[in-house]
Amino acid sequence: MRRLEATKLLVGHLHNEPVVSNLGPTSDELWHTKHRDRNFYTHGSMGLCSSIALGIALVTPERVISLDGDGSLLMNMGTLATIARERPRNLIVVVWDNEQWGQTGHQPSHTAKGTDLEQVARGCGIPKHATVRTLEDLDSVFQQALHEDGPWLIVAKIEEAEYLPHGPVEPEATAYRFRSTFLASQGSASKR
Amino acid sequence: MTWAEDLVQALKENNVSFIGYVPDVSIYQATSLMEKDPFFHVVAATREEEAIGIAAGSYCAGRNAAVFMQSSGFGNCINALASLCIPYRIPIPLFINLRGQVNEFNIAQVAMGRATRPILDVLGLPHYTLDSPEGLSRTVSGALKLCYSSHQPLAVCFTPLLHGGKIA
Repeated sequence: MRRLEATKLLVGHLHNEPVVSNLGPTSDELWHTKHRDRNFYTHGSMGLCSSIALGIALVTPERVISLDGDGSLLMNMGTLATIARERPRNLIVVVWDNEQWGQTGHQPSHTAKGTDLEQVARGCGIPKHATVRTLEDLDSVFQQALHEDGPWLIVAKIEEAEYLPHGPVEPEATAYRFRSTFLASQGSASKR
Repeated sequence: MTWAEDLVQALKENNVSFIGYVPDVSIYQATSLMEKDPFFHVVAATREEEAIGIAAGSYCAGRNAAVFMQSSGFGNCINALASLCIPYRIPIPLFINLRGQVNEFNIAQVAMGRATRPILDVLGLPHYTLDSPEGLSRTVSGALKLCYSSHQPLAVCFTPLLHGGKIA
């Protein structure tokens, strides 16, 4: 399964749900697939993608999706314990697991050497979890996660492919656009 | 009112209702009050940089958020400030208990405690230090207003002269 096709499949199921994307190709491919004001593209703070999504999920009743990566989640596995402790029913963490640090020269990550992030999530107490290896299985479990309370942790095993050109790196605009959609729905003006 | 009650009141008056923290025995005087108050949603994180990420998510979904930690934990979250809060202009007020000050008993706390404010300086982030409950409300309220008007994080640091410090 290629991450770009998998991203297109997930985005095809979304309406207005907030999405937080891991730095690097995950954010680039989300931007190329479909730019939305409700995409929060990260460009740094490696490891914090799902922590940011957790913060969002705790203050909105909407479904919130984190598109994380194996190398990033390995850097901040404690956030799986915090997700389990807080238990936001509306949070879906998808881990694109290519078993490598793709951006730094394809060094094998710990998931290539036996670490099973789904079992880590289970051990932390995250109630809904799955590992998928095909687009069909991803489609099925993601649709289930959109309708069935979580929190969810879905490990999607992917293979690396050619990288797309970078999306725009405009963090201030990203945060402003993203936050404004929430302020608008709260009925207040978008205040800077 | 105690310093902790003054602090909680200042957070309420400035509509800061989401709190991320990693426990510290001195700031517990404040976080324990917030955990009992339905105005606040208090989240315990496993590590300080995680608390910054969670707070950033809350702010970006429309709810103002602060993070409480001790100075050792500030060392754990520098990149979260430098590569998330600063470039995205996400205003997260930090409340940091400074270790390594008067009465410190643990040498392992000294270097990071002393380095915390210089690191804030090189990041370009304002900081205010409270040694006494006197004027706390004014300083905290003013710091919160600056944080949100400037769209950058800043820090309010506590010393043992404010809260009595850790009892060894």
